[in-house]
Amino acid sequence: MNHLIEYRNIVISLSGKLILNVNQLAVPSHRCTLLTGKNGSGKTTLFKIMSGLLKPHSCSIHYQGLDLSWKQAKHFIQKDIIYLHQQPYLFDASVVDNIAYGLYRAGENKTNAHKKVIQALEWADLSHLAHRSAKQLSGGEKQRVALTRARILSPRLLLLDEPTASMDTDAKKQTSLLLQRLKAEGISIIVSSHEAQTIEEIADHHFHLEQGDIIKAPAKSNKITKLNLAKKMQ
Amino acid sequence: MNDLSQASASAFHLLLSGNSEIWEIISLSFGVSFSAILIATPFALLIAFVLAFFKFPFRRALISLFNTFMSVPAVIIGLSLYLILSRSGPLGDLRLLFTSKAMIIGQIMLSFPLLVAMAHASFQAADRRAWETAITLGARPFRALFTLMYEVRFGLIAAVVAGFGRVVAEIGCSMMVGGNILHSTRNIPTAIALETSKGEFAQGIALGMVLLVLSLGLNAGVSIFQGKGDLHT
Ligand SMILES: Nc1ncnc2c1ncn2[C@@H]1O[C@H](COP(=O)(O)OP(=O)(O)OP(=O)(O)O)[C@@H](O)[C@H]1O
Ligand SMILES: [Mg+2]
Repeated sequence: MNHLIEYRNIVISLSGKLILNVNQLAVPSHRCTLLTGKNGSGKTTLFKIMSGLLKPHSCSIHYQGLDLSWKQAKHFIQKDIIYLHQQPYLFDASVVDNIAYGLYRAGENKTNAHKKVIQALEWADLSHLAHRSAKQLSGGEKQRVALTRARILSPRLLLLDEPTASMDTDAKKQTSLLLQRLKAEGISIIVSSHEAQTIEEIADHHFHLEQGDIIKAPAKSNKITKLNLAKKMQ
Repeated sequence: MNDLSQASASAFHLLLSGNSEIWEIISLSFGVSFSAILIATPFALLIAFVLAFFKFPFRRALISLFNTFMSVPAVIIGLSLYLILSRSGPLGDLRLLFTSKAMIIGQIMLSFPLLVAMAHASFQAADRRAWETAITLGARPFRALFTLMYEVRFGLIAAVVAGFGRVVAEIGCSMMVGGNILHSTRNIPTAIALETSKGEFAQGIALGMVLLVLSLGLNAGVSIFQGKGDLHT
């Protein structure tokens, strides 16, 4: 199996408490992976380290044929990996401006950016929201705008933090449909969840994070890839 | 009473007839205070941001230091600056004492802690996700800082307006390091003090009205901008 990126020996403690001690985590490329773990098991923390937003105590990264420290890799992973918050943050601007944000940062000019944004809005079936103020959208709408804003940058890897947590069944279905289309576009995805159901059908792999030091395979799934877990301090 | 209404009438007359001396004083006041705030703001915002978003030793101590400095009286700042700038002081060679530059320096010192403290409060109330979102969408840190500043712009504008309000009305520092020299360092507060002591109430009242309207306007501005920020949190 091909791996997009491999993290080794991820260690982080926060406020003196060891949160993660992950031996090895290889992200399958062009796949959708489900990451489960209880509340507080460290899913969000792991995602932030993986996307270059949170500095771990230690972590080495194998990416594009190079062996790098987290610090050396930071620039690349910030560029190629996009993290989406549990409750996505939209800037105090219109939906269009929110979606264009990353394009401008990548040096895209106004005309091109606008064209791409219009296409992206159609893709996500969000055209009717184009000129709404992003702060006034519903939670589900925000989620889809944030997903569109990330997708338009064609990241290598998307880390979605519990995207369906506060959604009703319809919205969940819609999101899982969007995820399927993202996967078809060749974007690797990891979706975290403290409950496995919704995304499970479209997930090709399943990692489970547990705060002790055991990897537990949820009984339902047989596609578990071993991912290591936080070991106790002593 | 008659005196007062007469003085008020001539105060209006002075303002409306475009009395050059009075408008010169007003423009000097604005010039000095605008310059001070313009120079102080970028540094203050940067420090406020660092204090709110990074962890380092003595961070808390630094924050309380700025909060404490907010309440240092203007005369004390004026006195210290006077000693530093006077002929025998460490920076005496610069010959800045009794110039408008000295007044600008004084007002920078006066407004700086207020700017830092208020901007720090805004940044601290800012959503950490805003920063992380900007970074993960490809913004370099400096650009992400601007994005963040935009997100908390109302609080930051309130800080700047409050800072301007503080310096434009202060008298102690301007008097000491400016010296209240006509055509060069006489600003609104020092002129009011002088004219009143001379018994020239009309000019004092005219300048007082300008300052009062300005202060009320600025204060209203601060609360409007602070309130606006709340809507989004
Ligand atoms: N800044 C911090 N300081 C101290 N402890 C923290 C900090 N951030 C997270 N933690 C702790 O780290 C652990 C993992 O948190 P994290 O948010 O990664 O869990 P999670 O798996 O995402 O949980 P959830 O399912 O509730 O989102 C928790 O015990 C949390 O209390
Ligand atoms: Mg979480």
